[in-house]
Amino acid sequence: MALTDFAIVRRSLRSRMFSTCVTSLTVGVAVALMLVLLSMRDSGRQAFARGSGNMHLLVSRDSSPMVSILNGIYYANSPRASIPWAKYESLAASFPLDFAIPTQLGDSYRGFPVLATTEEFFSAFEPNIDEPWVFEAGGGRAFDKSFEVVVGSTAAGETGLVVGSKIFLTHGIAQSRQLGQADAMAPHEHREFEYTVVGVLAPTGSAHDRALFTALESSWVIHAHDRRKLADKDIRTTTEADLLETDRLITGIFMRVATRPGQQVTASLQTVFDQLRRDTSIVVAQPVQQIDALFAIVSNIDQVFIAMAAVVMVSSAISIMLALYNSLEQRRRQIAVLRVLGCSRPRIFGLLVTEATLIGLLGAGLGVVLAVAGAFAAAAALKEAIGLVVSPNFGLELTLAVVTGAVLLSAAAGIIPAIMAYQSSVADHLKPLG
Amino acid sequence: MPESTALEIIDLRFRYASGGGSAPGAPWIIDIPALRLAGAEQLLLTGGSGRGKSTLLHLISGVVELAPPCSGRISVADRDIHSLRGPARDAYRAQHIGMVFQTLNLLHGFTALENVMAALMFSGVPPRAHRDRAASLLASLGIDRVDAVPEQLSVGQQQRVAVARALACSPTLVLADEPTASLDPENAEIAMDLIQNACRERGAALLCVSHDPAMVQRFARRERLDDLRSTLPPCATRAA
Repeated sequence: MALTDFAIVRRSLRSRMFSTCVTSLTVGVAVALMLVLLSMRDSGRQAFARGSGNMHLLVSRDSSPMVSILNGIYYANSPRASIPWAKYESLAASFPLDFAIPTQLGDSYRGFPVLATTEEFFSAFEPNIDEPWVFEAGGGRAFDKSFEVVVGSTAAGETGLVVGSKIFLTHGIAQSRQLGQADAMAPHEHREFEYTVVGVLAPTGSAHDRALFTALESSWVIHAHDRRKLADKDIRTTTEADLLETDRLITGIFMRVATRPGQQVTASLQTVFDQLRRDTSIVVAQPVQQIDALFAIVSNIDQVFIAMAAVVMVSSAISIMLALYNSLEQRRRQIAVLRVLGCSRPRIFGLLVTEATLIGLLGAGLGVVLAVAGAFAAAAALKEAIGLVVSPNFGLELTLAVVTGAVLLSAAAGIIPAIMAYQSSVADHLKPLG
Repeated sequence: MPESTALEIIDLRFRYASGGGSAPGAPWIIDIPALRLAGAEQLLLTGGSGRGKSTLLHLISGVVELAPPCSGRISVADRDIHSLRGPARDAYRAQHIGMVFQTLNLLHGFTALENVMAALMFSGVPPRAHRDRAASLLASLGIDRVDAVPEQLSVGQQQRVAVARALACSPTLVLADEPTASLDPENAEIAMDLIQNACRERGAALLCVSHDPAMVQRFARRERLDDLRSTLPPCATRAA
């Protein structure tokens, strides 16, 4: 086989292995960063949209609609203010609603939040539109009485809970409370009340996968028990008969305005929303709006990150240029010899640009591998941290666009060294050394 | 049948453009009214350091431009090499001129075989013939370690590779620039035997420039660069 231009380029790159690897790695990191940010941006938005499902409104007493959504749908923290049951009944009766599901957050199991609610949560609420709850094969059923618990798929996977498991819940979400917080309601286990797992849910791709679900009444009972024990240490047990009106508290209401079958929106939604907003004792949030608002904030950060990735990419192109420039000083003799052997100036120019392009191509390939690994690692971290299921989506079009951009930029970075090589004096560089 | 001409120089006047050398009246570094080298002829061109010997070779090979106010005609294999431009001149050089340097200038990181094949890359020889042609040329010059890189070869072997590279595309003319300057007398003898015999066997003309007095006896035809100079005043034009 004859010696080819490509073989000369390859030999040149191999002779500077360290420099080639470092420069390619720089390109790779830039490409990976760009790909991860672009792919995660879209899939992140889709992932955030999951979880609110077919609810139209979320009512709470959090400090703002955004906090309400973060706490109520993504279980970011336990809400700090409660809604009395009477208020819930009043709201549920005041508007034409398909459902008004009361929820209460505050307990946890091994760090996983416990949502106390009603059976309607499983029968009427869908975590994703047109995707109702599904139980794992042989994974049981929804709770139908107190002290039964249903476990989300991630929580079940990480705790090993199965149907029939017996557990005790913890008051509070340990991770979300500050250290040194010493009060009667500080995190503690409700050892007096044993729960039985009656169902394990199939994955929904939402934050609900990291939660446990139990009947509202059982939650009221264990907190009423805490209240009663403060007054009388000898109290052994508490039942629903011991509940006071002040024990019947909830932290949120999942609402869906009455809608025609098969439709997701209704004109009356805005009317209901506006009327609820007039009630200053509650906060009402439209999940869709809040997710859009959240992404409006995040997209600014996105743009900063993407700009940073672009800067890294330009820096990597500069590093290619510097690497080639430095190598050029050592290679002027080789270039002069090739010229004497008959290699034309345009061909010398082409060799240098090809070399830069090849570094870009190597780096881009490495970047795609890094991006896939990095995106899946980031997705796993997001799932672990906030239960958000993000499926990185590296579309062929996006990948090709970023790779092509990186390769073209690398090729462009080779132009200045290539021009210098093009102009290099043959006679000057054939002189004996020393 | 007329005798073929490997090299013909007519009215060549050259000086470098930089460093004020291009100022009107500055002396010509090279001023050769006429010089001819027949096919397969061997000529030794002598002259002291800095007299323009290497520059002349670069002009003949076309890697140094002959632009006004410099003038003249340099024909290699009956073609004025400076009438060709850019890649056309490079291709012509690849096909008709071989060069041997004082420091050999082998391509580092490339094997002996690849060094010779590098000369064939630009010569118009069909690529599929490159390997066999380079290998047989190296074998004929006594190199059997064709896959060794220059650093793994002795100086003598490197010299053979350099000669093989110069002869790879069966050139009309081989230019040797001080080929023995960095060698001891014994190795210089061997190197010159190699170059002269290889050129003779392949019918290539040889123009060797050197300031080594020991070279004189090896060449039937010898010229001193200074003796070739025009007798006209340095600042005069040819027309004058």
